[in-house]
Amino acid sequence: MKRPILAVNNLRKKYGDVIAVDGVSLEIYPGEVFGILGPNGAGKTTTLECIESLRVPTAGTITVDGLHPIKDRALLRKTLGVQLQRSALPEVMLVKEALALISAWKGVPVPGQLIRRFGLEELKNKQYGQLSTGQKRRVELALALIGAPKLVVLDEPTAGVDVQGRAQLHEAIRGLKAEGITLILATHDMAEAESLCDRIAILIGGKLATLGTPEQLTAASKAQTRIIIRTRHGSLLGQGNIQKATYLRESEGFAYWLCKDTAPAVMELLGEAIRADDPVEDLRVERPSLEERFLEIVQGGESA
Amino acid sequence: MKAFWQQLIIQLRMDLRDKSILLVFYLVPLGFYAVVGSVFSAVNPEIKPVLAATMAIFSITMGAIIGLPPALVKLREAGSLRAYQASGIPSIAVLISLGASAFIHLSIVALIIFASAPSLFGAEMPQNISGYLVTLAALLLCSVAVGLLVGATAKNQPTAMMLSQAIFLPSLMLSGIMFPANLLPSLLQYLGSVLPATHSMRAFRGLAYGLVAEYSAPLALLTVIGIG
Repeated sequence: MKRPILAVNNLRKKYGDVIAVDGVSLEIYPGEVFGILGPNGAGKTTTLECIESLRVPTAGTITVDGLHPIKDRALLRKTLGVQLQRSALPEVMLVKEALALISAWKGVPVPGQLIRRFGLEELKNKQYGQLSTGQKRRVELALALIGAPKLVVLDEPTAGVDVQGRAQLHEAIRGLKAEGITLILATHDMAEAESLCDRIAILIGGKLATLGTPEQLTAASKAQTRIIIRTRHGSLLGQGNIQKATYLRESEGFAYWLCKDTAPAVMELLGEAIRADDPVEDLRVERPSLEERFLEIVQGGESA
Repeated sequence: MKAFWQQLIIQLRMDLRDKSILLVFYLVPLGFYAVVGSVFSAVNPEIKPVLAATMAIFSITMGAIIGLPPALVKLREAGSLRAYQASGIPSIAVLISLGASAFIHLSIVALIIFASAPSLFGAEMPQNISGYLVTLAALLLCSVAVGLLVGATAKNQPTAMMLSQAIFLPSLMLSGIMFPANLLPSLLQYLGSVLPATHSMRAFRGLAYGLVAEYSAPLALLTVIGIG
């Protein structure tokens, strides 16, 4: 079994009387993209800030590649790359100055490869305050990767970024995963988490509510799978319930069913269409999404 | 150490790009110097001999006390300090580079005033230039330290502004740089004695210009360093 690159054990963080993180334990393995989801105030950022050594935990232990975040802070900076949620470089700092400054403190040359990879050549002489949100995020991601860290923490890396910028950042994250870099991704974007993460932890009220692969999480959903069919002559419209599925509605030539057991329900519906000599033009099967599962957990207050 | 020098150079450049810093470090002090030199010294001839010193005190106090605290609070409020910290840059290095950069910029302004006051406004050259420069260095050190302290302790920009004004305005009115401090009521003289600007003025008069100080000029200099 692989040794975890990050081990969090019974982490607890209090601010006065407020418990921000309450007994969170998790392990992250090399090469994983690990998602942390949760509503606002769930303790995501506090957990990450304890890992990043920006906050001292009230109780519990954290080990990052064998290092203690507080005691080994200097060494940790070489292992860990961080893109913070709420941070900004000084508005008047040039991109090339930011790259040079962080490279100097990490004791490495200015990374030409990162500049090319994130398309920063044309931004090098621009001030941070002149960049768009997407450009800022690209710069911040490049800065987090200076010194080739083993573990990179990205706290809402695509927040406020337009669709094109988001796609570029997703591509960059996939590229990092392909290189074997371990990533922790805190996000509010369920589709982003579902498409990028190997495993996902959902935090609620400072506690770990659930943890698993996106497939495991959605499979545990109480919501049913949707089957959507359109046939040439509309023989299935208004069909009503069948043995394996419940008829939901029709809309613009499409008939909708809900089912728990997908394959027999699809077979039964296709059989109906064949019997009616009505060719199937479109067939879609939609599993419950991570978003639906997330809302179930948040509204139901489930806890692991 | 190499990383710190790089940081200091970048901070110096950023300060030159920052309009609000340029305003309080260079434009307002030099503009005020021009007005005081040409107009005020005619109204109050006593100010003329020590014009370079009084304007140096004004410029340095303004830059360090009005300019530095908001810059530090802004770094904190914008999350830049955390971003630096997360990237492995110690907060103390950020603080020192900010202070060192202010020290250098304000030294330049003070030296411009020192070099131009005799030719432009007929101010006297100090009898003891070393004494002048030592006092100037002590004033810079002290003012920058006070500015950083205000910035580090102020919770937000309004508090920083309030604290800065609470130090800057009395420095202007009670230290003896605009008019002789001995004309003030004794209570205000007493209040003025806690300000670095007051002791700096006394040190300049005694150590640099050979004028009679109200008490030992070296003691005044030590007081400035002590406050710093």
